[in-house]
Amino acid sequence: MKRSTKFVIGAALLVASIGYLMVAGLQTSSTYYFTIAEFLPRQQELVGQGVRVAGRVTAGSLRKQTSAKGTEMQFTIGDFAGDNHVPVAGTVPVAFSGVVPDMFDEGRDVIIEGKLVDGTLRAQTIMTSCPSKYEPKPGEKVAPAAEQQARR
Amino acid sequence: MRRLLSSKRAASHMQQLGPLALNLALVLALYAIAMSLLGVWLRRRDFVASGEHAALAVWGCVVVAVASLLHLLVIHDFRVEYVAGYSSSTLPLYYTVAALWGGQKGSLLFWLLILTSITAIVELQNRDKNRDLMPWVTTALMTIAGFFLLLVNFITPPFELLAVPATEGRDLNPLLQNYWMTIHPPSLYMGFVGMSVPFAFAFAALASGRLGDVWIRTTRRWTLFAWFFLSLGNLFGALWAYEVLGWGGYWAWDPVENAAFMPWLTATAYLHSVMIQEKKNMLKVWNMVLVILTFALTIFGTFLTRSGVISSVHSFTQSGLGPFFLIFLAFALTISIGLLIWRLPMLRSENELDSLLSRESAFLFNNLLFVGIAFAVFWGTMFPVISEAIRGVKITVGPPFFNKVNAPLGLALLFLMGVGPVIAWRRASWAHLKKSFLWPVIIGGASGTTALILSGNYWAVVSFSLIAFVMATIVAEFYRGMRARQALLGESAPLALARLMGKNKRRYGGYVIHVAIVMIFTAITGTSLFRLEKQVTLNPGERFTIGDYTLLYNGLEQRDTPHVSYLMANIGVFLGDRQVDTLRPEKRFYKKPEQPTTEVAIRSSRGTDLYLVLGSYDEETHMATILAYLNPLISFLYWGGMTLALGLVIVIWPAPVAAREPAYAARAAEEGAQS
Repeated sequence: MKRSTKFVIGAALLVASIGYLMVAGLQTSSTYYFTIAEFLPRQQELVGQGVRVAGRVTAGSLRKQTSAKGTEMQFTIGDFAGDNHVPVAGTVPVAFSGVVPDMFDEGRDVIIEGKLVDGTLRAQTIMTSCPSKYEPKPGEKVAPAAEQQARR
Repeated sequence: MRRLLSSKRAASHMQQLGPLALNLALVLALYAIAMSLLGVWLRRRDFVASGEHAALAVWGCVVVAVASLLHLLVIHDFRVEYVAGYSSSTLPLYYTVAALWGGQKGSLLFWLLILTSITAIVELQNRDKNRDLMPWVTTALMTIAGFFLLLVNFITPPFELLAVPATEGRDLNPLLQNYWMTIHPPSLYMGFVGMSVPFAFAFAALASGRLGDVWIRTTRRWTLFAWFFLSLGNLFGALWAYEVLGWGGYWAWDPVENAAFMPWLTATAYLHSVMIQEKKNMLKVWNMVLVILTFALTIFGTFLTRSGVISSVHSFTQSGLGPFFLIFLAFALTISIGLLIWRLPMLRSENELDSLLSRESAFLFNNLLFVGIAFAVFWGTMFPVISEAIRGVKITVGPPFFNKVNAPLGLALLFLMGVGPVIAWRRASWAHLKKSFLWPVIIGGASGTTALILSGNYWAVVSFSLIAFVMATIVAEFYRGMRARQALLGESAPLALARLMGKNKRRYGGYVIHVAIVMIFTAITGTSLFRLEKQVTLNPGERFTIGDYTLLYNGLEQRDTPHVSYLMANIGVFLGDRQVDTLRPEKRFYKKPEQPTTEVAIRSSRGTDLYLVLGSYDEETHMATILAYLNPLISFLYWGGMTLALGLVIVIWPAPVAAREPAYAARAAEEGAQS
């Protein structure tokens, strides 16, 4: 066998295994991402699937209850304004039990990661954005600290 | 009163001085580019020199602009939008200075400060050297500076005034009021910007046709310098996230983190493959590609974090800077790849690969792995954009994707780290392999067996086997070198070891850096495989256990200052019946702007962190939700960072002048012969 052929085979094997790992990785951990406007019309087809939904916590919707099991929370998320914004009506109820990020509050923009069960989004993770007061800094180099995640 | 008036008048000068300096800097940068190119074209050395002087003047202008913004920040001139947006009259001085890079506009100016300072140093270092390369270097660096100057002059002017002057600033985000804020962004910026130097020299080599390895030797220290700060920047960011964000981890594969990680990967690949070019005159095209790719990834990373294309937590607001970075990126890539293709015939390899069992081959696979990881990270980060383009739906991938792909690839790299530095060049014989690797393999196997017995986790077995294997090869290298000196020169053991490192700083400093990387691998293994996590809701007086610790919740404590009020959970930490510590995870409520932040409490002991977070609480019953994490081996992350710094100091420690001069003369002669 020619010397260079051995290297081509070796490199090809390596590239193939990287490719395999990526495909396998994608199958196990990909999630649909929607804004609330995209999510509302498609709710039916998404029942039971893992989704990420971006929206704003509706003012006055937050209910909390602390028991020995932890803090249970219910709220709804609705439309949030962005660039080229077309307003939409409607909200999605969210249930979460656990610890929310510091920035979480009514009126804040959040990304909910979870599953839609019985019309309610059961949140696994809540991510918050910087409050608008601190915009515009979507991901400055300093942003890792401005990012908050809560995991259940 | 008079002083106040005069300071206000000075301030208004400052408001005008800054923009003026930036205007002038842009003009001078364009002048430097024009003169450098004309100088090459017309073979006029005086033109080239004039361009270089202009580059120095650009630096002067940027220093003036930065100084005036700092001045405005320090005197709290809230008529300036940036000052009002990112500081306040009660912000401590060091955070007021850090506010320079706390917001978009200031951070671009800060970026320019680093870039032009580096340019100035490069110009001064090369006053009498590399005359054929320098006009092109000046052109490249001034083009990059010119791009950022366009941004700060026309798109994100940092000296913009408010229509209605503010009486008080909105303050720096409390989350940024943390000591990491003063060192993490500057290190990352130094790393990003520093990569411009090897890029500029690579560009110069391609453009001028001086493709010998002068450009590589000239930029070796710069590449190491940039790599060092990029490494530290990433580590500092991880530690910041760990100490501040309160989810018990330090790396979440967020797009912002990935943006800083990708150029690190390709830069590390380059640092390795460049040795093959120096020793064997191979991989010349590949090295060019890596340098260009690394530079492109620094610009791409900046684009990623400032444009909002990626649906991360940062994408709600858009700054409109994205397209500019994309255009600049396309421009830089087109020109450098075009030049590369044009010069391909001159970049022929002078040697061939002989055997799969050789150092060249180990380095080659090391490079493929680094670039493979960079590609996987890129793919995962960009997947929402890619899937939207192809299927019309945004699909995000989470940390499991990155972990699944990168864990095996990272372990393969770890393996090569043990093999690469020791295996013979060209073709390794079985006798050589046995001599070099018999003991490391035995030690690795023993460590893996121990891990199997203690944990039963197969990932742990692989990881700890490899960690022990690599450490054994490194220790053996030091030992062999030391024994050789002792036998030959009769030196004592410590002296032999010190001289060994002093005489081969690059090699042994490199080993020290490898030790640092092994430490970081140890921390990653410990925290990702053996981390314990518990969330409990307790009444005062109740207790729970995590690992060996028993934790007793004693109740809430309160403290109030004019700016912040503190709420702390008092938690007694017990090992058995003995109280060893009291931890107070807290919630802080900043009063201006109203913002709660979580402060974690950490007890580090024997490499393991007990990490407590006060989640939520009931103000009446004082029932509290506590999150507890046990992070084994995480201390290796800190030690790894320190060892990395030590290794780098050894590598770049200047050689004594006497030793350096002849080498330089020889190199110059060699280069003369080549051209």
